[in-house]
Amino acid sequence: MSAAEVATPTTGTATVFRRAAGAEWLRLRTVRTTWWCLLAAAVTIVGIGATAAFDEATGPADPLTGLPATFAGEFGVLLGQFALLVLALLAVTPEYATGSIGPTLQWTPRRGVLLAARVTVPVVVATVAGVLLALVADVAAWLIAPDLTLTLADLADSLGRVAAVLAAGSVLAVGVGLLLRSTAGALATVFLLQLVLPALLPGFGVEWMADLGELLPGTGAVWLLLGEPDMTAAAAATLLVGWSGAALAAGGWSLLRRDAS
Amino acid sequence: MIQVRGLTKEYGTTSRLRGPGTVRAVDDLTFDVQPGKVTGFLGPNGAGKSTTMRMVLGLDRPTAGSALVAGRPFATLAEPLRTAGALLDAGAVHPGRSGRDHLRVAARTHGIPLRRVDDVVDQVGLGPAARRRVRGYSLGMRQRLGIATALLGDPAVLLFDEPMNGLDLDGVRWIRRLVRELADEGRTVLLSSHLMSEMEQTADHLVIIGRGRLIADASMQEVMRGQGAQRSVRVRTPSPDALVGALRRRRLQVHPTEDGDLLVEGATAETVGDVALETGVAVHRLAEEHSSLEQVYLDLTGDSVQYRVAVAPEPAGLVQR
Repeated sequence: MSAAEVATPTTGTATVFRRAAGAEWLRLRTVRTTWWCLLAAAVTIVGIGATAAFDEATGPADPLTGLPATFAGEFGVLLGQFALLVLALLAVTPEYATGSIGPTLQWTPRRGVLLAARVTVPVVVATVAGVLLALVADVAAWLIAPDLTLTLADLADSLGRVAAVLAAGSVLAVGVGLLLRSTAGALATVFLLQLVLPALLPGFGVEWMADLGELLPGTGAVWLLLGEPDMTAAAAATLLVGWSGAALAAGGWSLLRRDAS
Repeated sequence: MIQVRGLTKEYGTTSRLRGPGTVRAVDDLTFDVQPGKVTGFLGPNGAGKSTTMRMVLGLDRPTAGSALVAGRPFATLAEPLRTAGALLDAGAVHPGRSGRDHLRVAARTHGIPLRRVDDVVDQVGLGPAARRRVRGYSLGMRQRLGIATALLGDPAVLLFDEPMNGLDLDGVRWIRRLVRELADEGRTVLLSSHLMSEMEQTADHLVIIGRGRLIADASMQEVMRGQGAQRSVRVRTPSPDALVGALRRRRLQVHPTEDGDLLVEGATAETVGDVALETGVAVHRLAEEHSSLEQVYLDLTGDSVQYRVAVAPEPAGLVQR
């Protein structure tokens, strides 16, 4: 091997992206945290779904006969999404704590390409995992409580909404992670926006607090999953897309324009 | 080849006393790093060595100026590891990943085959430890992993930031031999250190900076010579007064040292020995001394040390030498 030989055929941006995305996937696979998060998501989503179905099967029956089994997956994802959002967040923030963002940028110094790979891979992983686990929960619920119905149309509709919630949530998590560069700070922010504030604010019975709660991304996610509180599909979509878009823009700016660490 | 042109980095600061301002960590640096040599990048702590390297690698954005690696800005390279490899911070590895997986991720970004990963693991002597998680690595093992990563793409340019920090003697020798081999293969090697003694044994060329500014850019010999690294002779005699008189009559400068010897400047051992013989004084020790790079470096950077230990004023009556 000699240093003189420079055999660098022109490598296109598509190739660089494909490799960067492959590396991101390998990064996720080679730390245990990812697998713990997936395990936690599986236990929560399938466990809650199955428990809800069991409750359904043993409870006072009649009025709910014919209910779609997909409510199980939706209930499960409502809470279990947080394990998947943590997975997405931890694909980003630990690099700033360990300084390994330095090597990462030495290997993929074109930051636009890195950003694309770094957002795409965790979001796809979290979304696909959530949809699969919701599917498992739905089927499990249907097996546990045969009174529930399970049609292809219901499944497609429900899993589509689950996918939208997880895609929006994990883009938010990755964006906040890239912006704040700190696991604790980003985790707190995502939890507050997605779970704590939307759940607590309406409870105070103060009007402006309830109004504020309806402006948070978690409210849009809850609406997509449960159909509550009362809002239009357009309003919910605006919430999810708006928050995720803003987080992505801010996080992207941080990765593209600021010094590495 | 690395080309640094007018590279400048300013950081914003907020001081309660002086209000907002800027600090120039790197101040209009211009130098080239040539292939086939080990170039030592020297400076006291805080001189801007790491910041300069980070800007060369596109990690930090320069306030002004530019840096080219093999003729291009590093951040535009599609396969950077095949052009330049670097070890900046051995600790910058996810502790939960094994060393080999860390290398696999790097290889994946370039389509480098796994065989090459195992090659560099062997080359740096990481061995079976490569399959253990980095959490359990010693500093020396982390340095080796970092160097394996730098070598992965078989690059023509290598940058190592303080690679010998915290290494034991074996590790230091290994790195010294490695950088020598890499330079002999025709590669460009930039090696930073604040340890002069290391550079004296390793580097062919020196780029010395202090407070972000270029102080010297010259071959090792030039630095040693140019700084009046003149020879002096240390002589020990039971009758110093007679010898000092005889030497001074020959217009030689003589100083007593702390331990009672005499230091004769600009002389050779032959001269001093001959004078002693003619004067008839006994000589118990006679040795030529060269000022070390350490001394040259201290002379060069003396004004530019940023962090100096504050010395309490001496009480009156105690005389400094």
